[in-house]
Amino acid sequence: MTDKREITLTVNGTERTVEAEPRKLLVHAIREDLDLTGTHIGCDTGNCGACTVLKDGEPIKSCLTFAVQADGSEIMTVEGMEDLPEASGELHPLQEGFREEHGLQCGYCTPGMIMSGKALLDENPDPEEGEIREAISGNLCRCTGYQNIVKSIEYAADELNKEPAAADGGTVTAEQRFADDDFDCGVENCCGGPSTETPHVEGADPQFDDVGGDDT
Amino acid sequence: MSSESDNTTEPTEYQHDDDGGPQPEKHCGHGRGGMGEEVTRKEDKRFITGRGNYVDDIKKPRMLHCEIVRSPHAHARIEDIDGSRAMALDDVVAVLTADDLLEHGLATMPTLMDDTQDVLVNDKVKFQSQEVAAVIATDRYAAKDGAEKVEVEYDVLDPVIGAEEALEDDAPVIREELDDQDDNHIFDWETGDAEATDAVFDAADVTVEEQMEYQRLHPAPIETCGCVADWDPGDDKMTVHMTSQAPHAHRTLFSQVSGIPEHKVRIVSPDVGGGFGNKVPIYPGYVVAAAASYVLERPVKWVEERSENIQTTGFARDYDMTGELAATENGEIKGVKVDVLADHGAYNAAAQPSKFPAGFFNIFTGSYDIEAAHGSLTAAYTNTAPGGVAYRCSFRVTEAVYLIERMVKVLADELDLDPAEIRRRNFIPSDAFPYESATGWNYDSGDYEKALDKALEMADYDHYREEQQRRIEEDADKLIGIGISSFTEVVGAGPGKQCDIAGIEMFDSADLRVNPTGNAVLRVGVQTQGQGHETTFAQIIAEELGMDVDNIVVEHGDTDTEPYGLGTYGSRSTPVAGAAAAVAARKVRDKAKSIAANELEAAEEDIEWDRESGEFHVAGAPERSITITEIAAGAYMNHPGSEEPGLEATNYYDPPEMTYPFGSYIVIVEVDRETGEVDFEKFVAVDDCGNRINPMIIEGQIHGGLAQGIGTAMMEHVTYDDNGNVTGGDFMNYLLPTAKEIPNFDTGHTVTPSPHHPIGAKGVGESPTVGSPPAIVNAVVDAMSHSGVSHVEMPMTPDAVWEALDEAELTLEPSANVDFAFDTSEEPADD
Ligand code: FES
Ligand code: FES
Repeated sequence: MTDKREITLTVNGTERTVEAEPRKLLVHAIREDLDLTGTHIGCDTGNCGACTVLKDGEPIKSCLTFAVQADGSEIMTVEGMEDLPEASGELHPLQEGFREEHGLQCGYCTPGMIMSGKALLDENPDPEEGEIREAISGNLCRCTGYQNIVKSIEYAADELNKEPAAADGGTVTAEQRFADDDFDCGVENCCGGPSTETPHVEGADPQFDDVGGDDT
Repeated sequence: MSSESDNTTEPTEYQHDDDGGPQPEKHCGHGRGGMGEEVTRKEDKRFITGRGNYVDDIKKPRMLHCEIVRSPHAHARIEDIDGSRAMALDDVVAVLTADDLLEHGLATMPTLMDDTQDVLVNDKVKFQSQEVAAVIATDRYAAKDGAEKVEVEYDVLDPVIGAEEALEDDAPVIREELDDQDDNHIFDWETGDAEATDAVFDAADVTVEEQMEYQRLHPAPIETCGCVADWDPGDDKMTVHMTSQAPHAHRTLFSQVSGIPEHKVRIVSPDVGGGFGNKVPIYPGYVVAAAASYVLERPVKWVEERSENIQTTGFARDYDMTGELAATENGEIKGVKVDVLADHGAYNAAAQPSKFPAGFFNIFTGSYDIEAAHGSLTAAYTNTAPGGVAYRCSFRVTEAVYLIERMVKVLADELDLDPAEIRRRNFIPSDAFPYESATGWNYDSGDYEKALDKALEMADYDHYREEQQRRIEEDADKLIGIGISSFTEVVGAGPGKQCDIAGIEMFDSADLRVNPTGNAVLRVGVQTQGQGHETTFAQIIAEELGMDVDNIVVEHGDTDTEPYGLGTYGSRSTPVAGAAAAVAARKVRDKAKSIAANELEAAEEDIEWDRESGEFHVAGAPERSITITEIAAGAYMNHPGSEEPGLEATNYYDPPEMTYPFGSYIVIVEVDRETGEVDFEKFVAVDDCGNRINPMIIEGQIHGGLAQGIGTAMMEHVTYDDNGNVTGGDFMNYLLPTAKEIPNFDTGHTVTPSPHHPIGAKGVGESPTVGSPPAIVNAVVDAMSHSGVSHVEMPMTPDAVWEALDEAELTLEPSANVDFAFDTSEEPADD
C-alpha cells in the first residue's frame, strides 16, 4: 500500500536490513521479517510488555515503536542473551534465575520480563525488591504472581555481582552455589548434608529427611 | 494390577509421610526426580531463550492472514454487507460473509452447551464486536486495510444489557431465531431439598441474608487466542495449529462442524501462553480461518488482538447471588439457601460438563457439615459476549465458594463470633470422610481444622486481632481487617458417566513407551498452558518406574500422535491424566517384572520392586537386582517367550470420583480511611492438594492463582454501558494486577491424600483463584464490620471502598498530602 523503506538495525550484534512500510511496528519487523519470535505480543494498547526489547540499551515496548523509528539503532532481544559475555556461552544469569527460581510458567511474558530485568540490572546492579517490582511494573504476567520473577532477578543480581569469584572465569555452577548458600538437601554426603563413610545412595529421596528451611 | 476398565480398584500405592513440615529448599538433582522433589522445569529452557513455539510464531509458505470485521453495535440487524472495496485492494484475497459459509454448512457452530452460535452473523448482531465478515489477505496489515473497507449497513435495535433487564416482560427478544423462544430466559436450575431447607430456616435461632455479585471477568491469558489452519488438498487433510486447552475434543468438534472425517483432522496445540479456561471453547475465528483455508487452499492465520479477546471470547462468572444461612445462636449452621441470576450473554456458551448447566455450583455447602441446602438459578440471554467459562475454576466452584465463605463471615458478624471459631464449629469433621453433602457430593478426604490452625499460626492471627482492636479504639487513620476463607474445591472431572463434554466422557489418557536404551516417552491427552506437565508427569513416571526424570520426555498437544483425552481445565490434569500416567507406569512395571525374572533367572512371583531404589530384585536377595534400563534392553533384545517384545502401556483413566482439594487462606489488610486504598499486610495460603508431585510448581501455581484472586477482588471487571458498548474491553480498561499490586505470599501446606487416586494427589491449580477472593473481601469488610458494614462488591476499587467507609461514617477528611485523583461522586459503570 505505502512505499517500503529500507531500514538497518543492529540486532543482537548483527547488522540486519528490513524493507518495511513506515507504519510497520518494530515488533512485527522483529518477529516476522527477522524471524526472532522470542519477542511476543500480548495487547494492542502498550500495557503488557510482552514485546519489550532494548533499543540502544533502553527498554522499549516494540509494539509502540515503528520499525523506521529504530533505523540505525541497536536492538537487543531475548535471543541475544546467550551471546553476552556474562552468559559464558551458556545461559545468561537472568535466564538461569528464571529457571532456578521458577520465574515462569507459560513463558509468554518471560522474554519481556528478562529484557526489563536486564535493563534494570544494567542501571542498578543491586536493586531492592521494590525497585525490581517498579522496573517490571510495565510487564504483565498472568501466571506467576510475580513473587518468583522478583526472586529470579535477585538471583541474577547475586550471580552477576559475584561473577568474578568463579575461579575459572566461567559462571558459578549450581553446585558451587548450593555450597555457597549452605544449601542442604538433607542427603548424606550431598549438598552440605551430614558426612559419613557411606556414600550417598542414588535415588534416595531427600524429601523425607528432616532438613532445614520451611516453605512457609 | 487393574485393567483399563477397572480403575476403581487402583490403590493409592504411593504413601507419603509429608506432614506439611519442612521441605527441601530446592531439588539438587541428586534424587531421581520422583514424587515430592523440587525438580526445575524441563520446559523452561526453550522459553527463557526465546525458542518457545506459540501459534503466532508459526509461519507457513503462502500463508494468508485473516482479519475479522466486527459489529460496532450490540444489537442490530444486518441490512447489507459490501466487500467490493476491500476486494479491490491488491493484497486482499477474499472477503467472507455468512453467505459464503452457508455454502459449506459452516455459517453456524454448536457451543459446548448445545446452543448454536453464528460463525459470521447471518441476520442479527447480538453483541458488540460480534463477527460479521472476514478479510483474508497476504499480510496482517493488508488484512486490516481490507477490514476497514468492508461496508456494513445496520438497522440498530435496542440492546438488552443485564440479566434482570433481560427478563423483564417488555425486553426485546434477543434470540428470536430460535423456535419457542419468546423471551430471554435460557433455563432454570434447582438443587437440594427446598422443603427440608425451609423447615430448617423456620426453626432456626438466627438467619442472615446477603446479596452479592460475582462480576463478569475475563481469564485474559497474556497470549490471546488464534490459529493457523492449513487445508492440504493433496491428502484431503485439515491441520489446525491452535491455542487449545483440549485438542482432542476440538478435533471431534471440528470434524462434526466441518464434515471432514475425524481422521483427516489434525489439531496441534503448540506452546500455549496461558489458558485459564479461555481456550476451552471453539470460537468463530478458528472456524473462519479453517473455512478460508479450505476454500483458498492456502494456510490461513488468525490471531486475536487483546480487545477482541476480552470483548468476544469466553468471559467468566457474572452470577448475581443471594445467599441465606440459618443457624443456632452459637453459630451452628443448619441450612443454606441460594438464588442466582446468571448472565450468559448472547448464546449459552458456558464451558462445563453437559449435564451440569450451572456447573458444580451446588458444592456451595463448602467445607461445612450443613443439614439442609437448596439452590435455584435462572439464566438469561443478554446482548453481551457469550461465555461463562471456568476461569481457573472447576465449573462455577469459584462462585459457590465465594458465596459460602462470604456468608459465613456475615453470620459471624451477626452473632458476634470470631470467624475462625465459627468455621471450626461447622467444619465437616476429619473422621467423617468420605462425606456426602446435602447436595449430593462425595467428598473424598479432608482435614479442614488442621489447615485452618496452620494458617492462623502463620498469620499471627491473635496479634492482628489485638492490633485491629487497638486501631479501632485509637480511631487510627488506617484500619486493620482480617479475612478468612476455608474453602473446599471439587476437581478432576469425570467420572465419565457423570461428566461429559459434548457427549464425550471425561476420562483422560497416558501412553508410555520405554525405549531399548532405557529412556521413555510419555504421551498424554491433556495440554499444558504453563502448568509444567513436561516436568510433573515425568516425575510421576520417575517415581513409579525408578527412572531418572531426565530420561523421560512428555509429549502433548498433537492429536495425530497423542492418545485421546479431554484436555486441561478444571484442575483435572493431575487427578485424571496424572492417574493415567501412574497406572500406565504400573502396567509397564508389571511387565518389567517378567523381564526381570527372565534376566535374573528367577520366578516372576519372586521379583519385587523397591520404590526407594527404583530397582527390581529377587525377594530376600536384594543384591540380585536389575534396573529399569537393563530391563528395557531385555525387553527388546532378550524378551521372554511368555511376553510380547517391547515395553509399553496405555491407560485410559476414568476416575471413580472427583477429588476435593481444600485450604485456608488468611488475608490481613490495612484500609486507608482517607482514600479507601487497601494494602495487603499479610497474605497466608495453606493448601492441601493431597500428595505433592513438585512443591516448587505447586507453590508457583498458588502464587499465580492468588494474584488472579487479587485481580478479581480489587481490579477486574468487564463492564458495559447501557448501549452495550464494552467499557472494560482492553488492557487500558480491564486492569490486570502488576508486580506493584501483588504482595509476597506466605504459603504452607498440609497433606491429606485422596484415597482413590493412584498417587493420592488431588490437583491444585485452581484452589488459589477459587479460595482467595472471599478471603480478600472478608478482610476489607472486617476492617469496617465494627461499624455495621456487611458487604463490599468486587472489584473493591479505592472508590468502592471509600463509599463503604463513607456509609459507615468511617471516612476521614483527606490530609493535605493526599491527592484525590479520582472523582468519588461518579457511579461505577453499569454492567
Ligand atoms: S504487546 Fe507491546 S505492550 Fe503489549
Ligand atoms: S509466565 Fe505466563 S504470562 Fe508470565
